Amino acid sequence: MKFIIQREPLMESVQNVIKAISSRTTIPILSGIKIEATNNGIKLTGSDSDISIESFIPIEENGIVYVEQIETGSVVLQAKYFPEIIRKLPDKTVELEVDEKLKVTIRSGSAEFSLNGQDAEEYPMLPQIHNEDSFDLPSDMLKDLIRQTAFAISTLETRPILTGVNVKAIDNNLYFVATDSHRLASRQIPFENQTLGFSSVVIPGKSLNELNKIIGDTQENVNICIMQNQIMFQTKNVYFLSRLLDGNYPETSRLIPEQSKTIVYVSTNDLLRAIDRASLLAKENKNNVVKLVTKPNNQLEVSSNSPEIGRVLEEVTAKHINGEELKISFSSKYMLDALKAIDSDQVKIEFTGAMRPFIIRPTENDQILQLILPVRTY
Amino acid sequence: MKTWTEMASIQPLVSKMLTNGFKQNRVSHAYLFYGPKGTGKRAMGSLLTKTLFCKKKTDIEPCQDCKDCHRIDSGNHPDVHWISPDGQTIKKEQILHLQKEFTYTGMESNQKVYIIDQADRMTTNASNRLLKFLEEPNKETTAILLTENSQSILQTIRSRCQMMAFKPLNTVALQNQLMDKGLTEANARLMVALTNNLSDAMELDKDEWFANARKIVVQLIEVLQSKPEESLLFIHNSWMHHFKDREQIQQGLDLLLLWFKDLIYHATGNEALIVFMYEQERMEKSALIWSRQHITNVLQSIMDAKKKIGQNVNPALVMEQLTLQIQR
Repeated sequence: MKFIIQREPLMESVQNVIKAISSRTTIPILSGIKIEATNNGIKLTGSDSDISIESFIPIEENGIVYVEQIETGSVVLQAKYFPEIIRKLPDKTVELEVDEKLKVTIRSGSAEFSLNGQDAEEYPMLPQIHNEDSFDLPSDMLKDLIRQTAFAISTLETRPILTGVNVKAIDNNLYFVATDSHRLASRQIPFENQTLGFSSVVIPGKSLNELNKIIGDTQENVNICIMQNQIMFQTKNVYFLSRLLDGNYPETSRLIPEQSKTIVYVSTNDLLRAIDRASLLAKENKNNVVKLVTKPNNQLEVSSNSPEIGRVLEEVTAKHINGEELKISFSSKYMLDALKAIDSDQVKIEFTGAMRPFIIRPTENDQILQLILPVRTY
Repeated sequence: MKTWTEMASIQPLVSKMLTNGFKQNRVSHAYLFYGPKGTGKRAMGSLLTKTLFCKKKTDIEPCQDCKDCHRIDSGNHPDVHWISPDGQTIKKEQILHLQKEFTYTGMESNQKVYIIDQADRMTTNASNRLLKFLEEPNKETTAILLTENSQSILQTIRSRCQMMAFKPLNTVALQNQLMDKGLTEANARLMVALTNNLSDAMELDKDEWFANARKIVVQLIEVLQSKPEESLLFIHNSWMHHFKDREQIQQGLDLLLLWFKDLIYHATGNEALIVFMYEQERMEKSALIWSRQHITNVLQSIMDAKKKIGQNVNPALVMEQLTLQIQR
């Protein structure tokens, strides 16, 4: 294998794939970066077996030639040294050559490095891509979907399946659902793709957070392809693969109450800030409990009381309150997370009594749903 | 890189049981391989794994040459997890990590294998974690536990595994094999007494450290016999310098154990079994100094010392105590 490459795009690609590489891996080969030269360009791969990132450098793009003199082949190089070497090379171009004993020579300007490579055959095989089973989402939409759901995943390993976000397609809608069994975040988007070869998969929350860091906040489409064991998100030159969580995701639709006894319409920001203030004193308590009471004249009373510290009481003017009077307590952290994910000026909160879960939705549409279980207080 | 045919000659019973399992499509979800060191437990584990993963196998014999087989040998297969003690024990975190891994789908295939080497070294916490995990096997998961001491594994874990007893190898056959490879009879005997594995034995024979270790053990005996008052000095000046870590001390004690075993053989006239065969003269002398009763006590003391080394007791103190007990 041999090629001459521009240092800038190579550095960029290396930085992309290095995100997937973990220093504490049980599989020795995964401490390396796989470099593969084909006649179309250079492909770099990094993986920690949970997620894998591939980055492709085409021979030329927009008339700029990136790679020259390609002789095809592949090798695995130690990720500990390779990025630093590339970063500190003196010249704008880098020549990389591998001999049959897997000795890798990197030349740039007057500098020459000689590294021991590993056999690329040892590297895990990533699944073949079937484009027919894929669909596109704009990357800013995908980022929103992740931001609005991924925070609600469980961090406990007791029920591993809940550490992921459930993605499912039902009746022309694509649902993202996450829950830690105390709260639930769900987002749906219209989705016109009936031919899709999947009904429900669970993507690890950790992978989604990594993905969120990699994709840009643009209108560009991300191609999503779900395979048997893995899911792939593909942007122009970066492929992000994640393994899926094994098992059945609990049925969540039944958790959402259909009727409600009290409906509150309120400005998101007002409520958010009131709860944020109330939570200042609630932090001493383990579960950050704040109390919400409906008052006449569309007033909401938000309060929190920690006997050792003191109490806080604040009234928020709601736009409208319908139905029965209500006294309810809940975790301020869950409420803040939910309100931040709503992305709307006004929210509608539907309560069904002090002991039943309540749901928060934007007033103008039904796409986002946040469900929180109240806390029992006496 | 052993084949089923080769394994059948080393461990006929276990091979038969495993191959029949494959043929009748009744591979168990968990195996416990137990037997002395060097009886081919690892080789069998790796062979079993290859048979599960190899896509080009003929009948049940893996090809040994495809990508899957190669990567199982090098420990790089993403769906095969080897766990071995991290320091002295297998820690809870290692099992937790494994458990986490198993909540994910496979990397390349839908089946997964995990192999726990020296499973008796699991901490109690780790054992209990593993138990939970063994109880509810995922589909297409195979666990292989390897141990030299099946009794120190939790009863509840044992009961959930299919037990596979690895028989000690035929020592005469191994000794002859070693002599064919050019070892002297004396060396071959010593190696057979220390290990059951041909390649290990060859390696030990070439090892300079080991040659010196043997010399030091004989010297220690000499010192104990002729100048017992200098024995503590000898321990500090020579022994502790040469046998640095616990692994090495264990080996030194093994050699010492063999020497005293030889004395018993000598006393009972069982000359054919003597390992240090060129040290007859010294042995005669030893037999005059130490009674048979005393030698038996010494054997017990060496076993105790070995146990203490395994339990993190200060090695220098253990050795001092042992030499004092031998002198007495």
